[in-house]
Order: sequence, then structure tokens, then C-alpha cells
Amino acid sequence: MRAGIVIVGHGPAAHRLVQLLRRYGYRGRIGVLGAEHRPAYQRSLLGEVLGGRLRPPALTLPAVAEGADVRDGVTVTGVDRRRALVHTDDGGSHPYDTLVLATGARPHLPDLPGLRAPDGAPADGVTALRTLDDCLRIASAPGTGPTGAGKGGTQGPGVVVLGAGVLGVETAVDLRGAGHDVTLVHPAPHPMENRLDAPAGLLLTERLERLGVRMLPGRTPLAYRSGTLLLEDGGQVPARHLVVCAGAVPETSLARGCGLAVRTGVVVDAELRTSDPRVRAIGDCAEYQGTAGGSVLTAWEQADVLARLLTGGRARFRGARSAVRLRARGIDLAVLGGPDAPGEGHCADEVVTLMDRTRGRYARLVLREGRVHGAVLLGLPRAIAAVAQLYDQDLPAPSDRLSLLLGTPPADDRGGPAEDDVVCFCGGVTRAEVRRSWRDGARDLAAVAAATRATTGCGGCARDVLALGGGARSGAVEPVDGGPRRLAGLLGEGGA
Amino acid sequence: MARTLVVAGYGMVAHRLVERLRAGDPGRRWRLVVLGEEPWPAYDRVSLTSCLEGRDARDLLLAGCEPLRTPRVRLRLGTRVVRLDRRRAQVVTADGDVWRYDALVLATGARPFVPPVPGRELPGCFTYRTLDDLEGIRAAARPGDPAVVIGGGLLGLEAAAGLRALGMRPQILEQAPWPMPAQLDARGGELLAGLVGARGIAMRCGVSVRSLRAGPGGRVRSVGLHDGTALEASLVVFASGVRPRDELAGAAGLATGERGGFLVDEYCRTADPRIWAIGDCAAAGGRPHGLVAPGYRMADTVAAQLTGGAVRPFGGADLSARLKLAGVHVAGFGDTHARTAGAVEFAVEDLRERRYAKLVLSEDGGVLLGGALVGDTAAFPALRSLVGKRLPGSADALLSRR
Repeated sequence: MRAGIVIVGHGPAAHRLVQLLRRYGYRGRIGVLGAEHRPAYQRSLLGEVLGGRLRPPALTLPAVAEGADVRDGVTVTGVDRRRALVHTDDGGSHPYDTLVLATGARPHLPDLPGLRAPDGAPADGVTALRTLDDCLRIASAPGTGPTGAGKGGTQGPGVVVLGAGVLGVETAVDLRGAGHDVTLVHPAPHPMENRLDAPAGLLLTERLERLGVRMLPGRTPLAYRSGTLLLEDGGQVPARHLVVCAGAVPETSLARGCGLAVRTGVVVDAELRTSDPRVRAIGDCAEYQGTAGGSVLTAWEQADVLARLLTGGRARFRGARSAVRLRARGIDLAVLGGPDAPGEGHCADEVVTLMDRTRGRYARLVLREGRVHGAVLLGLPRAIAAVAQLYDQDLPAPSDRLSLLLGTPPADDRGGPAEDDVVCFCGGVTRAEVRRSWRDGARDLAAVAAATRATTGCGGCARDVLALGGGARSGAVEPVDGGPRRLAGLLGEGGA
Repeated sequence: MARTLVVAGYGMVAHRLVERLRAGDPGRRWRLVVLGEEPWPAYDRVSLTSCLEGRDARDLLLAGCEPLRTPRVRLRLGTRVVRLDRRRAQVVTADGDVWRYDALVLATGARPFVPPVPGRELPGCFTYRTLDDLEGIRAAARPGDPAVVIGGGLLGLEAAAGLRALGMRPQILEQAPWPMPAQLDARGGELLAGLVGARGIAMRCGVSVRSLRAGPGGRVRSVGLHDGTALEASLVVFASGVRPRDELAGAAGLATGERGGFLVDEYCRTADPRIWAIGDCAAAGGRPHGLVAPGYRMADTVAAQLTGGAVRPFGGADLSARLKLAGVHVAGFGDTHARTAGAVEFAVEDLRERRYAKLVLSEDGGVLLGGALVGDTAAFPALRSLVGKRLPGSADALLSRR
């Protein structure tokens, strides 16, 4: 019997790969060796645990199809490529025909005095956030509980989040949402500086402050000492707990140990082959064309390409279309395209910006031949949904860019909306489908959502969906005080 | 019996007033005395640069010497008013001549502001306001040499274009982070800098001048910046804005605005009912305006008052402008800086065609409040006429109209 595929790591990339291998008809053995002591979970929802809105079991990904031999809590100690064997710390060895490295990344812990214990692990009171265990540690650490004192009462030192990248911002908002006293320290002048331009960065800073996060941008940390974070400019920030969100480093020790080519990540080609054709790598540990890691979407796309290749199909990974949607309650922020896209990419030919200082809304669209090449969207949930769809499917952007960004009906559209217009961009639900569900007896948003999936994504279409309901019901249901008009009025809109 | 109107100054705005009075006063109630300081009759100051580009200075004159040939108008050139005696209702010139008036219109204009940097008086340093200034620049220009223009506003860009036309290699220095900060936002300014750069005019923004140094011959040789840089320049032009010429006010007991200028009401009248002020020297609505279009409207309202025509108050300046600066089309209109409460800014930049358009809109995006255009101003007339109104179509469609 053939040895089959062995996957090292059991994160979202590995999970997706197993699913797709089975979907594409792979019948051989699949072994999964996961180092964490729990089954694969949705890392993107960790913030919900930090924020106290979800309990850990809710994050568990559905078990993969039968036939995969999943072993969690098992650490791979070495790979013998000559004999095609993987050795584990429980004394086992696993033969493979194809080895897939999906070892992910580990959090980067900066080289600051006081951040590490003598053994190199994070010191007491310091967490480099990455795993569910990290979240649970933060939630249970002393001094990080929600501040008991009421408003104006004396509050002990709270949590300091170090690093305002995507994870740092999300973490700060989640902890704040759970009632913690949160300070966000960041060396650059504004959060997410490699993804956001200055106007967006400043508006995001203001937004975070309004959510109650104490912002310290442009401040460089020097050391962590007895519950205080010392800053380069002499400032001191009391921190009972320090949460480090300073980026991730691809986990490559296994690849290095067995002599595979490694730069920042494990180097792979468009077929996700490492320097040994029998060893592939996907997800955060893989480096393709100089870029290592990426969002979960990158990992999924790589899993898809690899699953097709391993089942006899033809596919190539061409680099992921980067899309970041901040998962922070109270902030609608999306960045589409690589970090460089919002700049003057030499291939872009049009840049559209919208600045609404009063309401903290901002958009920057970078277009190439009428298609979205990159975008920064803040405070514009409808535009996020619409632009993300255009970007994802590489569709031409409508000529009325202002309406696209403001989420208003196109000014030139004298004919009115068409029935096959998409209302809910996340779910791809059309106007006609929404109308039908109202006609079929739906009486509230939840019922429409159950029937059509509309509003279940970003929720930005809720008003449209309700307004359509008003129109649909006016004939069938007794109008209440003018029916649809009143409904639209309650929602603060002039009319559907 | 005809009364005497004395006009102190004879620039573009004074000329407009004279024309209006001649046309609007068939009954010849007014005898005009026009006292101009420059040796030239009124000329088109806005087009000054064209005489560095080869145009004859005489083409710029607004009326030649025609007013001199009219018995109703006595024109004195090279004559500066040095004193205003309100009690006796008379003005005194530098030559000691005394002119009595029944009505006085102050149209003394503005003088270039020269920042107080050491070396500002060196030979080879010029301001950029009069025909004499330009004659001096033309004589001093050395083709191929580097030159420096201090100030990156409208005037500085004009001056740099003029120097370029004379074959020099001009570099503009601007304190703000981008050129024309009064009219443009960062992106528009950056694009403008790039466009004029492609036409041989270099630009340094965010810098300030510390001193000017002389070469062996005593003429300006270099410009030193606060960051320690020294820029070579055999010619320097100061284009750092203008200040109202309101020095007659003090001794005469007339009020001036906070930023200078004779303080006038909405009819351009000072606190003395016989004295008006118009153009760059007037602080209408509390501040001077520095553009010719508002000056013309002031001249019109004063002429109407003097001739008994339909009087319309000067209702504040429309600072809309569409210009071609150093070969680049630039326009601004309405609330260009989005100062209206709740205003939203919508900007489109075409990277291939190198044009930029910003619209300032009401909070729902429906009403046009103002905007700025760089690189292509074809949409300007339509947009300007829509200020304060609801957009008839999409903003994008308006901007792409060519």
C-alpha cells in the first residue's frame, strides 16, 4: 500500500487541504500531525474569544472527512527525506509519498529587555499572541480582568498591546470590548502603516480612541520591567499584562533541519514544491516569489492549488490577491491589494479618494483599466461589500465611483435598480430573491436571512433588504401607517 | 457744476473705475483726477509674464494714453500720494502738489512682501509686480544660469515660467509642503509640482530661506536654506505674496483691517463718507482679496454710487479662478478646502493623463460646494455654475466632461 500524503501542521491550511483532497477524489492515505493539543480551529475568530463573545469550542473546525489520520499534540522532530520518513516526538515514524509542510508561523517576539524569560519563552505577564492558548492565557491572567471600578473609579494598570498591525488593532478592540483598560503602543505614526496611507491611519486612530482604546502611536518601546513598559522617549506605561502583536515569523525549523531551501519562509514554486519535489509547503510557512505568509485566503488558495495537483489536476499558484478585513467591532475597515497597491503602483491608472472627516469615513480606490487594483475603505460597510466583490471577481467598477463609495444608488441610473442586481454582496443574493422571500412569508430580517443568506455577511445590506420587504408587502399585507414609506423613514432613509 | 473725484492709484482696478465713470456719467457731473505712481498708465498686470515670453510691453496697456486726451480726466503718472488731509478734503503728492476732492477713491494697490532675510537687497534680487520689475529681470537674466523663485503660489509659478522663457533654470522654493497651498490640497499640489517639473521648473517644498549671499562682483550668488543647503542662483525673485498699500490710513485716521488694507463696508466706503477704497488696498469684509476679479466688482459698485446707477453691494469675493500657470491648467472654485461643516471630499486622479479633480460635496454627496482641478480644467465652467446646487448627474460624469 502506498504511503500517501503526510501533512505537518493542523491549522486552517492543513484543514482546507484535507477537505479539498477528498472533494477532488483523492483516495489514498492522509496523515495529519498537529502540534497544538486541540483540533484545527478558526484562527480568524480568536478575537471573539478574547472579547468574551465566543467560547473556545465554537472555533473548532468541522472534523475532516473520514480516512484522514489526524494526530494532534504530536510534534514532528525530523524529516528523513532520503527514506521519505517523518519522525515524531512520540517515537513514531510516518512514511510519505508526498510531504506537505503546513507548519504555519509563530509570533515574533521583539528583542527587548524584559520580554523573555531565561529560557527564551515570553516572560511572566507577556504574551505573544497567536494561538487559542495565548488568548486563554490573556483572559485568565491577573490584572487583565475587566476593570471592576465604575466610571471615574480608580483603575489598576490594564493591558498594553504592543504593535498596531491588523492583529494588534483587533486585539485592542476585542479586549476593550470585554471591558479591559487597553493601551495600544505602536512605533509608527499610525496603525497598520504598511497597509494604510496617512489619512486612513489618522482616522483609524481617532476611531480607536472613540472606542476607548488609549492610543500611543509614534512611541517606540525600550524595555518591559516590573509591570511597566518603558518607552524610548522616557515615557512609562503601566502594564499588568503585555500582549505582543509584532507580526509572525514562518515556522521553518523543520524545513531547515532537513536541508530544504529556506529564506524567510520555505521557498516554493507555483506548484508549491519546495527544493525537494516530494515536499510541498502551503500557508504561513511558505514563501512564494519573495512573499511569505499572508491571510487565511492565501492559505486556502494554496490548499486548493495543491489539492488539484495531488489529484492529477493542473493548477498554479499565482500569488494571492491580498484582502484584509479588520475584524473589530465598531470599525469597518478593509484593505484590498498588496501593501503597495494603494500607492502609485506603476501599473495603476486611476486613483479615487473620498474623505469625510466629520464621520470618519475614508476611501481610496486604485484602479487599472477600470478594475479595482487596490483599495482602502474605512467606515463604509456598503462600499466594502461592493468593492470587495468587484476586486474578487475582477469586474469593471461602475462609472459612478462616488455612489459606489457612498453606497448610494448610481446617479445616472435613471431606469432604477434591476431585479437581478445583487443586494447582499457577501452572500451574492439578488433583489429578486429577497423580494421572493418576503412574498413567501418572511416577516423579519432573520427570516429573510434564513431563506436567502442575505445580511449574514457584513450586514451592510440590511436596510436595502428591509426596504425591499416594505415594497413587497405593500400589496399582500395590511399597510401600517403608510407601510413602506414609514419603514424607510424609521431607518433614516428618504425612501426605497 | 462738476465735482472732483480724485483716484489715488492707476492700476487695473482704478482703470475699471475710470471707464465706468466715463460711461456712466453722461451728464458729466464728475471731473476726474487720476494720480498713478508708476510711469505707465494702467496695464494688464495679470499677463505680466507674457512680456518675458516675447510680448511687447505696450500691448499690455489697457487704454494707451487715451484718458489723457479727455478733458474730463486729468492723469498724472509718476505721481505718488503721500498725504491725505480729510479735514481739508485734499491729497498731497510727493512733488508737493495738492489736489482737492469732493470724493476720493483709494486704489493704491499692493506691494510685494519681501521676507526679512539677510541679502534681500543684493543686486540680482527682484520682486515680480510691475513692468519695471520685469524690465529689470529681463536685463539681469543670464540664460543657462540657475535662478531661484521664493514662493510657490500663483505669482511664484508665473515668475518661474517667465525665467524659464528667458532661458534660465528656475527653482521654486515654497515653505508649505506643496505648491499653491491656498488653492490646492496635497495631492493636487504634488501633481502640479510634477507637471511644472516636467516643463523645466524645479520645485522644493517645505523649505525656508535663511540668507542670500553675494558673489565676488557683489551680485547675488547663492540662496541659503534653513536646513543648511545652499542653492546657486544668479537671479532671485521674491514672490511671497503682497501686502495692501494702506500707509495713508494712519495719519489720516482711517481704520485698517487685521491683515492690512483700508477697512471698508460692503459698498467699499471707509468711515469717511467721501472716501472709498477698491482693489488690493481695500479690506472688504475685513480682509484684502488680492485678485483682480473682486477688485473689478468693487470698482463697479463705487462707480454706481458716484453716478447714481443701480447700486449693488460688494457681496464678498468669488475666489474662483481658472489659470494656466507655467503651461499647466489649474482651477479652484467655491469651498476648495472643505471648510463647510460636514463636507465630503471626492477626488479622482488620472495617472496616465496626469490630471486631478477634487469636488467638495455636501454630506450626502449631492450638493456641490467647491473643488479644485489640476492638469485639465475643461470641467471648470460647468462645475463653477453648479456650486451650491444639486448635481444633475453623477460626480464622475461631470468630471470626465472634456
